[in-house]
Amino acid sequence: MPVILKIILTVSFNTDEASVTVKECIEGIIGGIDYNQNKVNQWTASIVEHSLTQLVKQGKPFKFIVNCAIMQKSGAGLHTANSCYWDTATDGSCTVRWENRTMYCVVSVFAVAVTC
Amino acid sequence: MSDFAKEKAARLLKKRGSVSSLGSHDVKAKETAGKTKDSISTLSYIEEPGHHEDNPRPTVQMENTFQLAPYRRFPVLTVNDILKDVLSSYLQEEKYEAELCRQMTKTISEVIKARVKELMVPRYKIVVLISIGQLSDQNMRIGSRCLWDSSNDTFSSHSFKNSSLFALANVYAVYFE
Repeated sequence: MPVILKIILTVSFNTDEASVTVKECIEGIIGGIDYNQNKVNQWTASIVEHSLTQLVKQGKPFKFIVNCAIMQKSGAGLHTANSCYWDTATDGSCTVRWENRTMYCVVSVFAVAVTC
Repeated sequence: MSDFAKEKAARLLKKRGSVSSLGSHDVKAKETAGKTKDSISTLSYIEEPGHHEDNPRPTVQMENTFQLAPYRRFPVLTVNDILKDVLSSYLQEEKYEAELCRQMTKTISEVIKARVKELMVPRYKIVVLISIGQLSDQNMRIGSRCLWDSSNDTFSSHSFKNSSLFALANVYAVYFE
């Protein structure tokens, strides 16, 4: 009797793994440095690019959106919120907050599944 | 003053049952003049939906429609107008206040998502990201990068400023093949 094997290829987004990856990227780029207005442009660009490449290396079938905000510490407040219309079974997001003595960094990753 | 603030924050948190990871940090007074080099931050509210789903819905397997590109593209300019409209109507007269802006970010993101859904652009998934911050001496930069199909997927963005706060709204639209 022929055996039929059906493999389901859709996976759901692994929040913890992504969060660890992103945190390592941030540490690597702005780890022990103080806020510098001249450099913040290239910091945001490299954090976002780096996180994106690392996430893609995991080889999962997702489209990614990575958002990074770097703010100097001056006592001011910041609020972020997001709202998503997608398939909660396959898509997901993760937000990583990081700070050092002189600045805050908030990175959000959104992953939308691609049907192969 | 710092003890009182801590107690108040703890009471507020208990009422809302929210997650706080910084139990022992002080809230640095905002009236401090000049640069605050060693300010400590307080995370006062974090809400992450969906992680407590014990029985997630099984993944729905869609049938092939052999449609590679959308019939109707995402209307970027219309969404730009929606963002401009929503941000100015909600925030034109407001002053920055921690409680108010916390609620405001969540409300605005839900409102924008609802209005974009009303446009009924088929097969597009939407991500709305809102940031509201206080205007003070600080400098800040927000950037984003996306890995997607640039022929079908797009984004729309708008920023708003008044005398005491600034707001940024980003809407990303991803085509679902």
